[in-house]
Parts: sequence; structure tokens; C-alpha cells
Amino acid sequence: MPLIELNNITKQFERKIALSSLSFHVKKGEMVALIGPSGAGKSTLLNTLAGITAPNTGTYLLDGVPIQHYKKRKELAKKIGVIRQQFDLIASLPVIQNVLAGRLGEWGFFKSMLSLFLPQDKQLAANALNRVGLLDKLYDQTSKLSGGEQQRVALARLLVQSPAVILADEPVASLDPARAEDVLAMLTKLVKEEGQTLVMSLHSVEYAKKYFSRIIALRDGEVFFDLPTSEITKEHLAELYLLKEMAL
Amino acid sequence: MKQLLSPLYLHKRLSLTLVLLAAFIWSLFSVTWSRDLLHAGGWATTVQILEGLIKPDLSPDILELAVESSWVTVVYAVTGMTVALIIAFVLGVLGSGVLVSSRPVRIVTAGFSRAVLAIIRAIHELVWALLFVAVIGLSPYAAIFALGIPYGGILGRIFADMLNDVPGEPIQALRAAGASRLHCLMYGYLPLIRSNMISYTMYRFECSIRSSAIMSFVGLGGLGYQIQLSLADLHYDEVWTFLFFLIAIVVLIDAWSNSLRKRLVL
Ligand SMILES: Nc1ncnc2c1ncn2[C@@H]1O[C@H](COP(=O)(O)OP(=O)(O)OP(=O)(O)O)[C@@H](O)[C@H]1O
Ligand SMILES: [Mg+2]
Repeated sequence: MPLIELNNITKQFERKIALSSLSFHVKKGEMVALIGPSGAGKSTLLNTLAGITAPNTGTYLLDGVPIQHYKKRKELAKKIGVIRQQFDLIASLPVIQNVLAGRLGEWGFFKSMLSLFLPQDKQLAANALNRVGLLDKLYDQTSKLSGGEQQRVALARLLVQSPAVILADEPVASLDPARAEDVLAMLTKLVKEEGQTLVMSLHSVEYAKKYFSRIIALRDGEVFFDLPTSEITKEHLAELYLLKEMAL
Repeated sequence: MKQLLSPLYLHKRLSLTLVLLAAFIWSLFSVTWSRDLLHAGGWATTVQILEGLIKPDLSPDILELAVESSWVTVVYAVTGMTVALIIAFVLGVLGSGVLVSSRPVRIVTAGFSRAVLAIIRAIHELVWALLFVAVIGLSPYAAIFALGIPYGGILGRIFADMLNDVPGEPIQALRAAGASRLHCLMYGYLPLIRSNMISYTMYRFECSIRSSAIMSFVGLGGLGYQIQLSLADLHYDEVWTFLFFLIAIVVLIDAWSNSLRKRLVL
């Protein structure tokens, strides 16, 4: 049974059709890159997968259950974790609190309030930070960290949350190339180690080919192609980006 | 859309500015700028006041009285601010609607809280003081509530606005990590507005010292009361001693709030 099952998903904003009749499946453990020109609907698709945006029509089964049946935040948080471009952390809190926020779904009220003053499950946070190479920043204020470090803190939070699927919307777009590659390599490695499933939108086709086994290309809200990375040719890509420009 | 709207918006703002300017100029004309603004003995009094400024009364008795009344003034302000913070926190959080997910419920609770905040701050602390003195007499509680209630209204309104202005992304990320609305308040909203909240509260604390001093004019003790007594006796040198104490308190609080802000700045 596929972990993610999308059938004829349509999403319309006012008059703009962002997703039109989209269908695909993602199996457990797959690494999927979403590419496509700006405005193709990548973010809309990821938000739909995260349950943040409700589609107008179509069905979305997450682990065999329709997404709207996940009534509780914490149930959904076990299935799906999200990482975005930036601004995802609470800059005025210490790093450890941001990492432990991944546990909020698990904790009861008193534990989470106590943890603000006396961090709980500290070992868990320390392990996660160690894996992203930031153990020495445990008590630093998050706003003092560089962009790349902040994305790694967001990764540590995902490690603590430990969802089955990770949805990433251009998580490295605001980083310089060296930092971007670091974070990307780290994220894909962690996902593999944890046996998770990853769906990530990317602007760089090069990175998509390097780190992902399957690439789904979107254009104008439709699947333009959906192929294993090895089968993707220059022509495919030229068509994906070129046609768009000619249409303009 | 935005570009289309902006000339209209600018236009609106410009006309509002003109209207306000016109109102201001008109108000200048409606003041009678005649000599009766200063009363007859005005000049002699001015000289006496200035003499007091140069030679404030520093006798031990007056100094002791000044320290005592400063203490009363500060205590009223601190307890009044405590009451204000409680009111502001509760009504501010409710008024921002961040704890409620259902839209109709949010509109009702937020609207109600904001209305209460508006009403209690619309009434000046002096009026509250007169009301409380009428009801419970000249007791410290009258001063504390008279300060705390309108200040709670002002602070609560600002807190609610700050909470509403928090950027959406970090909160949404917390939600996605499984946080409840209460979690989002504790781990998201409050840390994000913390430094603004503290510096605004400190500013209001400073204002509350002045209000507390004024409040004692209605007979509730403190610096204002002493100033009033000395003024009645035409002892301007004593008035200045008390005023210097008032200024010293405000300066101290300012220094404290600056050091707090420096430590908390992002
Ligand atoms: N909240 C919204 N309201 C109205 N239109 C929207 C909204 N969100 C997205 N759209 C529109 O839907 C289309 C798809 O947007 P989306 O953000 O999914 O594209 P994207 O592929 O993520 O683009 P980018 O690569 O620039 O991030 C765009 O034309 C966009 O203008
Ligand atoms: Mg996008």
C-alpha cells in the first residue's frame, strides 16, 4: 500500500487553477523531488500534502486514511513533518527549545510548560543536534545562528518529531551553494537512516538528480513527467522549462 | 491589486493629514491669547518658584517625608501595574483570538475582550480614583485599582495587537510539529513578542509612577499629596524637593528598563 495516494486533486484560487487533476502515489522510503517553473504549483501541492491546504476536489489518502480524518494535530504530526525555506523557527528561543518543539505533540500540558523553564527530554534534543553537527549550540539563542545552521536546527526538530513523511518546500533556496549542498546532503542522509519518505520541491535540477531517485515535474498545475531519475533526459528538462517561456 | 489601490490610499492619507492640520490651526484660534492667561501676581510667583528650584528644602524632616512618600508612590505604581498586567494578559490573549480555532467563537470572544479593554481604558485613572474613593474610601486599594484597571486596558490592547502581528510562518511550523494552540502561545507567540512586550510594559510602568503621584492629589498619600500640601503653603522649596524625588524615580526606572532591554534584545 502506498504511503501517499493522490487521486484527481484539484485546487483553485479565485480564478487561478493551481493544481489540476493531479494523481500520483508515493511508496514508503521513496525520495521524490518536485521540480517545475515558478508558479507551477509545487508549494500548493506540498501544502495540500501537509493538510494545510484543502483541495477542491479529489481524494488524498495518507497511509490509507483520508487526510481529513486526521482530526488531531498530534496524529498528523506523527505522519507528516514540514520544513520550509526559512522563518520556521522561533528566533527568540534558545536552540534547545526549538528542537524540543518537535515533541510538543507527545507531551502533556504540564510537561510542555515545565520544559520552557527546565528543558525536558534533553538527551533527545542533544542527540538530534549532535547528528546535525550543532551540539555546541544547544543553549544559544536561535536568532544568533547563520541561515544554514538554522536550517539544521529545523532538521533536528524534524528528527525529534520523527514523522513518517517529510515534506520540504525549497529548504535550501535561501542558502549559498556550499551551505545548500551541506543541508541537502544531511537531510537526505537522515531521511535514509530513519527509513522516512521525502518529498521536496527544488529549483535546482542538478541537486534533484544528485540526491533523489524519482523526479516529478509540475507545470501549470499538472504532472508534466514523473520518472525515475535515471530516465530523465536533457530533452525532458528543456521542454519543461523552455515551453513555458515560449508560451509567455 | 496593490498598485491599483495605492494612489487611492495615498490620496486618502493626504486628505486626512489636511483635515487634521486644519483642525489644529483652528484650535489655535479658539484659544484666547490674552494677558489673562497669566494672573496678576504671576511674575512674583514665578520668581519664588525659581528660587525654590535653586534652593530646594533639604532639611532632614522634608527628606524623610520625601523618601516615605516616594516609597508610597512606587508601591502604588508597582501593585497597580501588577493588577494591570494580569488584566492585560488575560484580556489581551483573549482579545487576540490566538487560542480559539473556531471562527465564530473567536469573533465573539475577541470582540468582547477588546470591547472591555476599550471601555476600561476610556475612563481616565483619575476618574477611576474618584469612583473608588467614593465607594471604598481613602484606602490604598482605591489607588491600586484606579491605576491597574485603565493601565490594564491600555496594555491589553497593545498585547492583543502584538499577538495579532506575529508572523504566520513560525506558528504554522509549530502547528505542523503537532503543537496545540496553547503550545503555540507559550512556544511561539509569547517568545516572539517578549522583548517588545517588556519594553512597552516598562514604558507604561514609568507612566504609572507619574499617574501614581498625580493620583495622590485626590488624597491617597504619596508624592503628589505632599506636593499639594506644600503648594498650598506656598513652600516652593519643598515642592522642588518632592519633584526631584519624582524625577529621580523616573530616571532610575528608565535606566532599569534600558538595561533589561539590552539583555533581551534579539
Ligand atoms: N493563497 C493563494 N491565493 C491565490 N493564488 C495563489 C495562492 N497560492 C498560490 N497561488 C497561485 O497558484 C499558483 C501556484 O503557486 P505555487 O506557490 O504553488 O507555485 P510554486 O510552484 O511553488 O512556485 P515557486 O517556484 O515560485 O515557489 C501560482 O500561480 C500562484 O499565484
Ligand atoms: Mg513555492
